Amino acid sequence: MTRLAFYGDPPPNVEGADLPGRLIVLEGTDGVGRSTHIALLKEWLEAHGHAVIDTGLRRSDLAGRGIERAKRGNTLDSLTLNLFYATDFLDRLEHQIIPALRAGMVALVDRYIFSLIVRAAVRGVPRDWIQDVYGFALIPDKVIYLDIDIAQLQPRVVASHGFDYWESGQDYLRTPGLFDGWVTYQTALLAEFRRLADQHGFTVVNARGTLAEVFHDLQHEVRQVVEGMSRQSVLPPEPNDA
Amino acid sequence: MPPAERDTKLNGARLMVQDNFQRGESGFPGRLIVVEGIDGSGKSTQIDLLQKWLQSRGYLTIFTEWNSSPIVRATTRRGKRRHLLTPLSFSLIHSADFASRVHAQVLPALQAGAIVLADRYVYTAFARDAARGVSRPWLRRLYSFAADPTLAFYFDVPLEEAIQRIVQSRAAIKYYEAGMDMNLHEDLFESFRIFQGQILNEYEHLVEEFHLIRIDATEPLVDQQQRVREIVEPHLQGVARIPDRDMHDFLRQVGLQGRYIREAQPAP
Repeated sequence: MTRLAFYGDPPPNVEGADLPGRLIVLEGTDGVGRSTHIALLKEWLEAHGHAVIDTGLRRSDLAGRGIERAKRGNTLDSLTLNLFYATDFLDRLEHQIIPALRAGMVALVDRYIFSLIVRAAVRGVPRDWIQDVYGFALIPDKVIYLDIDIAQLQPRVVASHGFDYWESGQDYLRTPGLFDGWVTYQTALLAEFRRLADQHGFTVVNARGTLAEVFHDLQHEVRQVVEGMSRQSVLPPEPNDA
Repeated sequence: MPPAERDTKLNGARLMVQDNFQRGESGFPGRLIVVEGIDGSGKSTQIDLLQKWLQSRGYLTIFTEWNSSPIVRATTRRGKRRHLLTPLSFSLIHSADFASRVHAQVLPALQAGAIVLADRYVYTAFARDAARGVSRPWLRRLYSFAADPTLAFYFDVPLEEAIQRIVQSRAAIKYYEAGMDMNLHEDLFESFRIFQGQILNEYEHLVEEFHLIRIDATEPLVDQQQRVREIVEPHLQGVARIPDRDMHDFLRQVGLQGRYIREAQPAP
């Protein structure tokens, strides 16, 4: 059961009984491996007969494209961007996440409100304001924070897509090079993430290990949440099942 | 400067983190004048007349309108056209639009000493979104980054008269305008009537809470404008005027017609 409980005032018209599904959130900074693990967890849960939806930032029908378009320009201030992301999140909460939970599905969310709060906070937006804006967010069954340090993150970013404008905080930092900006920005993000992890009691998973190690820990955490849910045996159990 | 000359304060200025927003409580040299009211109250006509008057007296003015940010508007339009908006996403996307205009239009103009004229301001969100069931305290906190207006006029019109004006002047009432998303009534027109009535009721509370200046919008147009100007006048003290604003005078002086000057120049 996902309790129908919110951080602040619930969205209007959202009421009723608790939801039979489960809401599981993966949080962590850019390059920590969230999307890889979401993909793996989804396949694993489905193989065990769970119906799964996954969602992440900018994937709303309403505002996803608008944000992409806005980010291409150079006139976007951080307050507008934050409220744009809040719109995108709310649209997915109302139209993807809550309906899926109502239908008894497992919702795997790649970044919930916490990444958005962290990104706002490092840009100087007051924490109490941005947390308050997101008061309409449903409290997840579990928030897993993939914990990492700059030193381990660095080679992963180089090996994948490299240093990107937004992930290096270039919209608000004025650093001569991308790398300096990336270090400053990611260091600030990690500090904010850890602060939130303490405040909200996230489940912290060490993301410094190998893919197999991290995934094993994630399976352990997720298994506890989905335990006892009704399942459909759509697929035979896999031989190398953990 | 004495407070009278800097009475446009940043409310919740702590939100405005960019360096140029750090003026905080000290206020801005400009003025912010707001008109509010339900559809059909005549507020847009009044603010247009006010702007022309101010311009003719040499004041630098800028006009900003609800739901008009070039960055956000397309998303709002998409949501409306496809009926994707819920009460809360309706509220949030309009707050994004507002934030974008505050950043790009309102604050820079106030800092530059201009008179900003806003057709609808935060009170529109407070009234409409609350009528849709959004939490009133949350709305006030959401919009805490908005500067307090120097003057906020409320154009008070009875519901039936406003509806009559709308029906006479417009081809169709739109889905969200009529509050059709609220399932108030299956008939568009009836739904519009109910929803506008609820908004009117919210405005009544806002007039008290925020000391909006009530203008009787059933009075003749010129009388309303006269009253608005009388109220605005004392607040113009200390606001910079721009020389050479009157292009016509200038052209007459230099004996030219201004044939290649674009339309964007101040109207005569």
